[in-house]
Amino acid sequence: MTVALLFAMIVTLMMIGVPIAVALGLSSTLFLLFFSDASLASVAQTLFSAFEGHFTLLAIPFFILASSFMSTGGVAKRIIRFSVACVGHFPGGLAIAGVFACMMFAALSGSSPATVVAVGSIVITAMREEGYTKDFAAGVICTAGTLGILIPPSIVMVVYAAATDVSVGRMFLAGVIPGLLAGSMLMTAIYITARVKKLPKGEWKGWAEILSSGREAGWGLFLMVIIMVGIYGIPGVTGAIFTPTEAAAVASVYAFLIASFVYRDMGPLAARDGRGRISLLRKPVAILSAFWHEDTRRTLFDAGKLTITLMFIIANALILKHVLTEQQIPQQIAGSMLNAGFSAVVFLIVVNVILLIGGQFMEPSGLIVIVAPLVFPVAIELGIDPIHLGIIMVVNMEIGMITPPVGLNLFVTSGVAGMPMMRVVRAALPWLGILFIFLIMVTYIPFISTALPNAVMGPELILK
Amino acid sequence: METGKSFFDTLEESIIVALLGGMTLLTFANVVARYGFNDNILWALELTVFMFAWMVLLGVSYCVKIGAHLGVDAVTNIVPRPIKKFMALIAVAACIIFTFLLLKGAWDYWANFANLPGTDGRWFPLGFEDKYRGKGWYEVESVVMPEVLQWMADIFNEGERYEKIPRLIPYAVMPLSMALLLFRFIQAAWALWTDKIDSLIVSHEAEDDVEEAGKLVKAAAEKFDREMSK
Repeated sequence: MTVALLFAMIVTLMMIGVPIAVALGLSSTLFLLFFSDASLASVAQTLFSAFEGHFTLLAIPFFILASSFMSTGGVAKRIIRFSVACVGHFPGGLAIAGVFACMMFAALSGSSPATVVAVGSIVITAMREEGYTKDFAAGVICTAGTLGILIPPSIVMVVYAAATDVSVGRMFLAGVIPGLLAGSMLMTAIYITARVKKLPKGEWKGWAEILSSGREAGWGLFLMVIIMVGIYGIPGVTGAIFTPTEAAAVASVYAFLIASFVYRDMGPLAARDGRGRISLLRKPVAILSAFWHEDTRRTLFDAGKLTITLMFIIANALILKHVLTEQQIPQQIAGSMLNAGFSAVVFLIVVNVILLIGGQFMEPSGLIVIVAPLVFPVAIELGIDPIHLGIIMVVNMEIGMITPPVGLNLFVTSGVAGMPMMRVVRAALPWLGILFIFLIMVTYIPFISTALPNAVMGPELILK
Repeated sequence: METGKSFFDTLEESIIVALLGGMTLLTFANVVARYGFNDNILWALELTVFMFAWMVLLGVSYCVKIGAHLGVDAVTNIVPRPIKKFMALIAVAACIIFTFLLLKGAWDYWANFANLPGTDGRWFPLGFEDKYRGKGWYEVESVVMPEVLQWMADIFNEGERYEKIPRLIPYAVMPLSMALLLFRFIQAAWALWTDKIDSLIVSHEAEDDVEEAGKLVKAAAEKFDREMSK
């Protein structure tokens, strides 16, 4: 009962515009002061333990930094050029290319709104010019943008791994097949729609264009290779080379070097004031000056800002988690659910519903920290694989982002495309349907999520 | 940095930038040391963790100043203005209460590490505690004490040299950042009251970029429509 009060307070505070972090932290702190004998010093200690006690979370700033370097300027443009070269000649080609570009961009960045902004601003315009309706363009990009948190590296997955003590490496691998599957389902649906509605197709520009655009985009996409090979090693050749945290840090340094010296979209060699990009050979001092160039500082600051706001939410969500564990809420919920005779199927439906509602309002990382510990013990009791549960949760968050009335991606798309909210909702509806089918598949076919991690890293030990 | 920013803006931004850049390079250097020189920088991980904590905790107050904290604006955006202001004022009051409680908690947590008394009282500091055990001797696990800081040994460790840095150094960020955060929330409350700002939160991290992208798309669409009507 008192716990219901706790959650009511959190929701009320959030609705009147209290920052999510403070809503979580204040409610939990007051609860501790009223209903337990914990001291404020222990609350402060819990807050600090978000950093000191959770090494997994240390990967977050580095992943954010790598994607910030990668999403400054022209990377989105290069990826789009490459995907248009690959799939642009199919019926509905530009729309399919848009989804493909979102998938690749998602692999560089861990955030869905960022993907919509970066890819959407270019593709929506291009689609209009080729004769697609604005609604079609906005609906496709809005939906494909949600892949950002499913395709690794994903910040949401790092948070899930930290909250439930599963391996980050496994979570990333588990996201690969579902990510590709969701993307292919969307692309197939577009292809069929295009055939029926006779949507425009682009021209085939030949292999030369694929090669040359691929080489350009390749520098950026190699980031994925660093992360994946770094975490898992090359099968049969080496074992893991880095921890996920180190892989992310190495990826950040790589992304910085590529952005400053190869793409030259930022830093001392970038084109500005009407002159083009400068070759490093003509300005060798840039090797040093790039480190403290204004653009580098700006990118570091932006990444820092995002890290700070996310980590503040996560740290406060950990205080709430502390409260819930101390009150043995997860065990109580598990007990009552098992007593009520919930089967795995019913339980997963309940999880789906909770997350769809929560995902409407809340930033995915914070939601995971709260919900994961609540449902995790039940899932283990019911014999659900923790990795599978994680993927289900991530897919739910994705759908929450494009579910009316207040999905985040809907807002972002409405801003980018300059369309009223309700029109975006209607435009995204058919694609939302596809993601729902995808969710049902992911929920009830565990194989989709667990096959790859089990094949690469061996079967998992589940400790009850 | 750009004009229009005060000295303190630049300072706070630079601290965030330096800490994030520093922790990235340090972690990278550790990898290089391991594979390039078959060596490990033993203190790298722990120092990175402390830099991470410092960056986030100090940065939290700057994010209040620039209104970057994430929240839910679904309700506050549809209510009439006076109600919105009323809600925002309650919201900022909640923030001030929270930060005040945390400041007391943070002081109590840190004080003993610095041989200082914590405060009495459960909710509200009612003066300092009379009896306490100083923990100034308590060191971190691996970060080596730099020579320039050894003067601290005389003050906090009865003259006995520190091998590793004492915990009072990394933990000092707790009371410091909470005091700063309290100050920023009080500033924000005043700004809300005087209508300088109308909200404490943004609904997602890409809010600035959306507006910019929206303008680009709109400009392109207008240009396209003009060409079509020719």
